[in-house]
Amino acid sequence: MNRRRSELRNAMSSSNLRDLQRELENKANDLSKLQKEIAKNHQMRKKYTVQLGENELVLKELDLLKDDANVYKLIGPVLVKQDLAEANANVRKRIEYISAELKRLDATVQDLEEKQNSKKDTILKLQQRIQSFQAGKGKA
Amino acid sequence: MAASGSWKSGSGSSMGLERMSVEQLKAVKEQADLEVNLLQDSLSNIRTATTRLEIASSALNDLSLRPQGNHILVPLTASLYVPATLHDSQHVLVDVGTGYFIEKTMPEGKDYCDRKINLLKSNFDQLVEVASKKKNVADEAGVILQAKLKQLASSS
Repeated sequence: MNRRRSELRNAMSSSNLRDLQRELENKANDLSKLQKEIAKNHQMRKKYTVQLGENELVLKELDLLKDDANVYKLIGPVLVKQDLAEANANVRKRIEYISAELKRLDATVQDLEEKQNSKKDTILKLQQRIQSFQAGKGKA
Repeated sequence: MAASGSWKSGSGSSMGLERMSVEQLKAVKEQADLEVNLLQDSLSNIRTATTRLEIASSALNDLSLRPQGNHILVPLTASLYVPATLHDSQHVLVDVGTGYFIEKTMPEGKDYCDRKINLLKSNFDQLVEVASKKKNVADEAGVILQAKLKQLASSS
């Protein structure tokens, strides 16, 4: 009778352990997906930062010009003459757009990093549970 | 005074490294090496850009000395040149980035090149400083790591 009970207990504990390990695997997969997402966002952020810097340099150059200066815009293979005020407005608008995108990306990255930290905590707790489970099993 | 301050901060960081485990030290060294490599790439890019601007500046200088109507060869590709005559040697179109070109006089063009060169040089100097600090951290971590590994080997 006692042996039957211990066999049942062992079977239950091993199935519990399997469940925990499966859960750990799923959580680890989720974490790796999150990390990939964060890396992708960082890459995009880098690209936008470069663009922002370039546009700010262009704006500085345009601000140095006199009103009668000739400004051209490269459209495909053709240089098209453009009004200085229009060029200025276009660059400012582009800077605004890129800045907004950067803010959005920052918020996204922050959110993803918070999720990543909570996932890491969950994984750590799961690992501890598995270890204590195995230790208990070893004693038994 | 400043020297003693920097020495203190340096010793503080090495004390922090001393307390780290072998795994942590390896991670710190890898990270520092990676950052040093990235900074070296940036430095080489800045060097290339500076060289290009210096070439542009000397080309402007050369062009300003040539009279209008002078015969020149214009490169269409790396191996195809067509003969032409110089229409205006006092005005140039400057590519300021993001597809915008500005018509400038020769002195303005030279001034633009000089400003850009100065900007790049100041960026270069800042990056060199950061890179040397990172390299020091990497070297320090490497030395401490080697010492710890030796210690582990001798104790086992």
